[in-house]
Amino acid sequence: MRPAATANAQSEPQFAALVDALTADPGRRGQLTDLLREDHPIYDQRGAATVVRMRGWVLLALARAGVSDAALIFVLEELDTGIDAYLVAAAARALRSYAHPDENLAPFVMRALTNIRYRDEPLCFEHYGDYAVSSTGTSPVRELLMTLAWLGPHARGVLPELEALRAERGGLARKYRIDIDRALHAIRGADQVDEPAAGSCCGPPTGLGNMVSRPSDSRGGVQSIAAAVFEDHGGDRIAFQEFFRGQPSIVVFFYTRCDNPLKCSLTVTKLARIQNLLDAQGLADRIHTAAISYDPAYDLPERLRVYGRDRGVVMNAHHRMLRAIDGMGALCAHFGLGVNFIESLVNRHRIEAYILDAEGRVAVSFERVHWDEGEVVGRAVEVLKEKVTFEMPP
Amino acid sequence: MAKRKTAKRAGKAGSAVRKSARAALSVATSARRTVKQRVAAMAEAPLAVVESDKDLQAMLGVLRNRDEPIKVRLAALQSLGAAAFSVIAFESCRGDYLATLRQVADDPDPELRQRVLGILMREKDGFAQKKLLDGLKNPAKALVPPAKALQLLSYDVHAEAYAAARAILAKPPNDDARREALRLLAADATAAPLFEKLLRDKKELREIRQIAASALHALNPEKLQQRAREIILDKSDYDDIKATSLMALATFGDDEALGKDKALLNSVSRFGAGKAPAKYKQGARRFLRKFGR
Repeated sequence: MRPAATANAQSEPQFAALVDALTADPGRRGQLTDLLREDHPIYDQRGAATVVRMRGWVLLALARAGVSDAALIFVLEELDTGIDAYLVAAAARALRSYAHPDENLAPFVMRALTNIRYRDEPLCFEHYGDYAVSSTGTSPVRELLMTLAWLGPHARGVLPELEALRAERGGLARKYRIDIDRALHAIRGADQVDEPAAGSCCGPPTGLGNMVSRPSDSRGGVQSIAAAVFEDHGGDRIAFQEFFRGQPSIVVFFYTRCDNPLKCSLTVTKLARIQNLLDAQGLADRIHTAAISYDPAYDLPERLRVYGRDRGVVMNAHHRMLRAIDGMGALCAHFGLGVNFIESLVNRHRIEAYILDAEGRVAVSFERVHWDEGEVVGRAVEVLKEKVTFEMPP
Repeated sequence: MAKRKTAKRAGKAGSAVRKSARAALSVATSARRTVKQRVAAMAEAPLAVVESDKDLQAMLGVLRNRDEPIKVRLAALQSLGAAAFSVIAFESCRGDYLATLRQVADDPDPELRQRVLGILMREKDGFAQKKLLDGLKNPAKALVPPAKALQLLSYDVHAEAYAAARAILAKPPNDDARREALRLLAADATAAPLFEKLLRDKKELREIRQIAASALHALNPEKLQQRAREIILDKSDYDDIKATSLMALATFGDDEALGKDKALLNSVSRFGAGKAPAKYKQGARRFLRKFGR
């Protein structure tokens, strides 16, 4: 049940009013987090730019109301993979309302700064859907620098990077000198925190919820998807249970028309690295991999093949690029995908990777922030070692 | 030593270029100069824009100022566009540049409006996208003609433009708008049946049938192969459409199946020997040679 909003028939002003009402009501603020889920029906049949305006307004509401532990992953996701100036800036602002700043947050902010610096643009946060027509307001770079200043000594791990950015000719615009100096000053400031533990600089904060592991007895069934038919990169058809039953599989989602290089293109490139790791461990035949398109009507076999090939993906009987012949319904239900559409085209999606057990059930999921290839393979090996209790198909 | 001398010479040359660019900018932004002088100077000004905030603001001021001659403003836009091409050097100017473009997106001059909206749409700018969609829904608000709006919206596959394109297609204000609506829908995965129908319709404009063939290849290549074969077998279809169909078969078809398709090869043979223009007949001969005929 989704109490906050139930219909995509809501106009944008109505949506903005709903968000403002939720923000003003401490008892219902938790519903703001729900509105950040990509698969929320409120985003169904909206264009990508509309989705940006809507999600941006929710992030700005969180900036006012305070980011909860549950909402943190959505904020970090935007910093980790976002390339839209409005959303990145709103996420940077929202992060400053989080009650527990620590050193694990700094790499996300720094990464966002690196990603967005050549896409910087003036922004207006005053009213819903406003676009800046003067450069006097804020911008993603300014918001990110303010967030680094807010982190202060917690951001000491990214200090060398920030110093290099300041020193680099063309690193950051001259107009940000004051902001960057303020951030540097705050980071170098009073010794308020302990030195970060070695190796803790780059991973997501613990308990973030970006990885969910399900014990064997709590995994869902495969009835709804068992008969689903896919077409692969070579035009061959194969049913879900034929490909995904009998051994564990690593599954990622993507679509070839995705214009965010930090999402689909990187995901499929990382899948190729996963295949290399499996191969190095002699597991290439014992653990399947699949990249499944969110855009099956457009991603025809030739497109799948070229997209995979250009990113180094091995494609054969055990490792396939797939599109669902009968659409996305069964897939969305089985995996609980974080995606929404305008007609058949994706309007927004998260990054997501799954490990299926030998029955095709979701055993582990990695969501929103970038996953580590080694960790995915490690988890898949654990699933491989699980005792298989079902009967193998003939 | 030689290296140091080369570096020194390069430094001097760079400094001279910068000086010249600043001098050009001073001419370009001076109301005392003639339009011709200013337009000519604008071409040399991009380097100055990225070197100095003051010069950038002067150039943006010319672009914004509705009292300036339109030729000078268009030249300023072009100069800024050239400067923006150096992504790293222009980074510090980008914010002011985008804000100014949004300010002049509703300028009284139609050419300036159109060019500015084009630049913004290439940036996938949400502001421009909203203005264009609003204009398609409500012609009183339109900043550019519907055909141009659709063309600009097609720069971003994620723009919510398919519904607008379909509405234009249902009631096209003119042929240009209809054509652009179809071009935009060529990326809509659900539009294959529409293009199949258009391609088969001999009463349809030939340009539209060519667009349909291209769109069908992108959306459902197998279907295009089927329809292309039918068109070549059809003695009454037009030469240019047959030539397009032949090209589709020759480039993307299954050579093994085509080589065994006697009816098709005979039709191509007739086409090559008939009254079609020489360039089409040449295509037919090439096709037949491929299959040893």
